[in-house]
Amino acid sequence: MSESETHTTASPKFAPLWPFVALLGVGVATFIYGLSSAHPAHAWQTYLINFLLWSAIAQGAVLFSAVMHMTNARWSGPLASLSEAFTAFFPISFLLFLILFLGQNHIFPWLHEDLHGKEIWLNIPFLFTRDALGLLILYGLGCGYLYHALQLKIDPAQTGNKIRRMIVNAHQSNALTPEAVKRRMTIWGGLYILAFALVLCLIGFDLVMSMDPHWISTLFGAYHFVKAFYLGLGALIILATIIRVRQGKASVLTPAHFHDLGKLYFAFCLLWADFFFVQLLVIYYGNIPEETHYVIVRAMLAPWNKVAWAVFFVCFVGPFLILLNKNLKTKPVFMAVICSLVIVGIWFEHLLLLGPALSHGAPTIHLSVADGLISLGFLGLMALAVGHFIRVFPETAGLKGTIT
Amino acid sequence: MPAEQHIMGIFRDEDQVITAVHDLQASPYRFVRVNMPVPSHKIMEALNLKKSRVGWFTLCGGIIGFLAGFALAIFTATRWNLIVSGKPIVAIIPFVVVGFEATILFAVFGNVIGLLTQMKLPNNRWLKYYDPRCSGEHFGVLASCAAEQTEALKDFFRNQGAELGEFNQLETTKP
Repeated sequence: MSESETHTTASPKFAPLWPFVALLGVGVATFIYGLSSAHPAHAWQTYLINFLLWSAIAQGAVLFSAVMHMTNARWSGPLASLSEAFTAFFPISFLLFLILFLGQNHIFPWLHEDLHGKEIWLNIPFLFTRDALGLLILYGLGCGYLYHALQLKIDPAQTGNKIRRMIVNAHQSNALTPEAVKRRMTIWGGLYILAFALVLCLIGFDLVMSMDPHWISTLFGAYHFVKAFYLGLGALIILATIIRVRQGKASVLTPAHFHDLGKLYFAFCLLWADFFFVQLLVIYYGNIPEETHYVIVRAMLAPWNKVAWAVFFVCFVGPFLILLNKNLKTKPVFMAVICSLVIVGIWFEHLLLLGPALSHGAPTIHLSVADGLISLGFLGLMALAVGHFIRVFPETAGLKGTIT
Repeated sequence: MPAEQHIMGIFRDEDQVITAVHDLQASPYRFVRVNMPVPSHKIMEALNLKKSRVGWFTLCGGIIGFLAGFALAIFTATRWNLIVSGKPIVAIIPFVVVGFEATILFAVFGNVIGLLTQMKLPNNRWLKYYDPRCSGEHFGVLASCAAEQTEALKDFFRNQGAELGEFNQLETTKP
């Protein structure tokens, strides 16, 4: 492990987390209010959209660290460590998935439909069992990778809470050399990457594509995990911007880091759009009614066509044209704004994929302030998880000094 | 007038290169160039070079390619006016494939033309005074001086922590 320069003063200063606790409270209250209203299905739809979005952000961000390690990349520097902070959302995501079980009657439109033989795959016990197992494996591998990654950077002189002490004790009792730890990271990281692809494919098929149970796109699962990496990179840029702005010139994050990460973000903007287009082209040329109705409803007919075009411009055209410029990629705040807009755009993309199936042909898109408040609740949850992780392990943010 | 002597200092560390470049620019010797095995943001910032225009060539090539790709597909489709599988004659979705590929192709052409023109290639001056270690894991800082200053320049590089470069010089005499 290369030594990072010491840039900071004695005590790292952390942002207060109470605003995010407030956001979480507002989100939970709005969700519970929605459940008790006349349309609980709508609250569950928003819950599902947010669960998919924020879980994908965490899964994709951690993938960055694993990929950097597997490729022996040096350019990422402190960014790979920073991305490990999103592992803190994994246990929360798993709990959120289990809560989905309670809303099954409102989430899965195929529950009471004749599925013409697909019942063998699309049934609640099997679906929840396989998805829970998949997420458990994915998150277990991610945490295993994190466990070893932290041993390379943790400062044993600094004590902290129980989890930190556990890592420190493990590091001291294992007495492994850095090379041995890196070899273990390679195994865990490689397995995480494999599980990422397979599990997110499964989640994409089960929780998004199955909402229209008679429509199939073979690449849909891969589209879901490419989207997750795109989201994860965006979230990493936002977190890196926050760290950079708080630390100022003393930060280990330089404009060159943002430039390099921005280039990778640009590449995944293209890849995400490409995976969408590849599916579209095949459906377009095949012109099979069983396949085309899905695209026609979402891209050509009101009310969803406006959402489709908005997503296209916000998540692809805008970032593509803007990120061609080198200077803009080196500006952290600007990049954070772009990435935030893309994350909002992908929220609407999830709405576009799920909405027509869950709203059962409603003439208008039912969006309200409640959807925004529930989404802010999820944002608060993610910020609390990541913020708390950085407080416990400030080394991941390139901070040294007394942990307060 | 005695010919200038070119001396190259070979470094392994980019921070030493930056220090050497700054000291060279403040010295009586003439800084020529830095050879890098990998792109280095830090060294390029230290050199404070003029912004390259090659990117503009690439962008223009890409725009021309985008328009040319769609134009080619639309032109050829309208020559035949055949309705295939009920699709319109001018069908944007499949034409995106042609447009995209042409964008990349012409952007690459633009990039190559930009490199050739901006670097004034073909020109063997980049191969003169070149140490092959710069293609490995070493940085090479090339400077020139008057003949009588050769030893002083060599000492300058040694004091900066460099080894001295060994050149595979091209034949420079004219036919």
